[in-house]
Amino acid sequence: MRNLLNFLVRYNNLIVFLILESIAFYLLSTGNNYHNSRLVKGLNGITRGVEERVSNTTVYLRLREINSELASENSRLKNMIGKLSSGREGRVTTVRDTTFGQQYQFTSGRVINNSVNKQKNYFTLNRGTNQGIQVDMAVISSQGVAGVIVGCSQNFSRAISVLNLDFRLSARFRSNGYFGSLSWDGRNYREVTLNEIPQHVNVSLGDTIETTGYSAIFPEGTMVGTVSSLKKTGSDFYKITIRLSTDFKKLSYIDIVGNLKKTEQTVLENSYQ
Amino acid sequence: MINSILRYSLIAIVLILLQVLLFNNIQFSGYINPYVYIMIILLLPSVIPPWALLLVAFFTGLTVDLFSGTPGMHTSATLVAGFSRPYILRFISPRDGYESGSELSMEVYGFRWFMIYTSIVVLVHHLTLFYIEVFRFADFFRTLLRALLSSAFTIGFILLIEYYRKRR
Repeated sequence: MRNLLNFLVRYNNLIVFLILESIAFYLLSTGNNYHNSRLVKGLNGITRGVEERVSNTTVYLRLREINSELASENSRLKNMIGKLSSGREGRVTTVRDTTFGQQYQFTSGRVINNSVNKQKNYFTLNRGTNQGIQVDMAVISSQGVAGVIVGCSQNFSRAISVLNLDFRLSARFRSNGYFGSLSWDGRNYREVTLNEIPQHVNVSLGDTIETTGYSAIFPEGTMVGTVSSLKKTGSDFYKITIRLSTDFKKLSYIDIVGNLKKTEQTVLENSYQ
Repeated sequence: MINSILRYSLIAIVLILLQVLLFNNIQFSGYINPYVYIMIILLLPSVIPPWALLLVAFFTGLTVDLFSGTPGMHTSATLVAGFSRPYILRFISPRDGYESGSELSMEVYGFRWFMIYTSIVVLVHHLTLFYIEVFRFADFFRTLLRALLSSAFTIGFILLIEYYRKRR
């Protein structure tokens, strides 16, 4: 007993250190996981208030730029409407079904906390379960893909950024449809790599990369970026670097995309595995 | 006693706010992320019992973690820095030892001593932090480069802040 007490007195600093360090590692292992959002539940506290205020200021300073981005997106959408409606003029259609053909539902929101300088980047949005946001919804900006929701509180949600070592995305060439797996290597916040494209495929610089929609998260054909460099390696595959169309340093207004037919697709897929 | 506790709390709050509002937003190519809040651990007086130092380190790291959305990362790195501080202090103790009443500032112990002290603690903290962040040994040297570059900037900022604190 005496020896034990002596031991405790002698090494009490080491013991305190080990106890606190194990608490830290417990937090590290449970809080940072891809789909674990225990900490997100407490998002409503003081830190969100501060972050929202900072974000309000920075957004105000960039209003001019945001305006022009929104204007260009508007004109693009108007062009699309123009194309669609021209074919239907003079035809009368009655649609009883309220979800006629609609597969994706868009909710607009704003990024209130973001980072690009870590190896595992996440960002926070000012929309949550009260606005119908759920885990596994896609986040896209007007330029292209941005991330996937990993946790929601009532009024906020947390999303994993494309700029995260754990993020994977199925992407393909718009021109020929060959698809591969997209990931970030942690170096440059403007560039990601596309793997598993075999070397017999015709690839050239500047080719557009878009999402495949295989995962039922991102809508098919969402812009990802363009090929900025490609290398033939010793293996059978190209090493393709893609310049992201989304500038994550300027990410502010985004759309959160829910897939209305997701359950149908995943249930079917899981039953025939 | 009460007075100095108040003083340190004020310094801690200012440093954490600086870190969260200013330095966390310096996103320079992913290689340079100064973490100036470690200065809280640096400035605590030499007579503080090690367990109290560890508690301060724990709560400092936890606060920064809450603001940067990285649970556990800064906490564990700051704890390592706090744990190693008594050993570092013993290793580089000045000829006459430490004066028990004074704080560990540039004003009391001189620029050279303070710079060596800062550099060692910051290096310990940053190396731990960056390797915990990546949590793998692939890209070993790139992580090392990130840690060293960030350390250089952190040390620079801390010396600058300390210099202005001394002049006041």
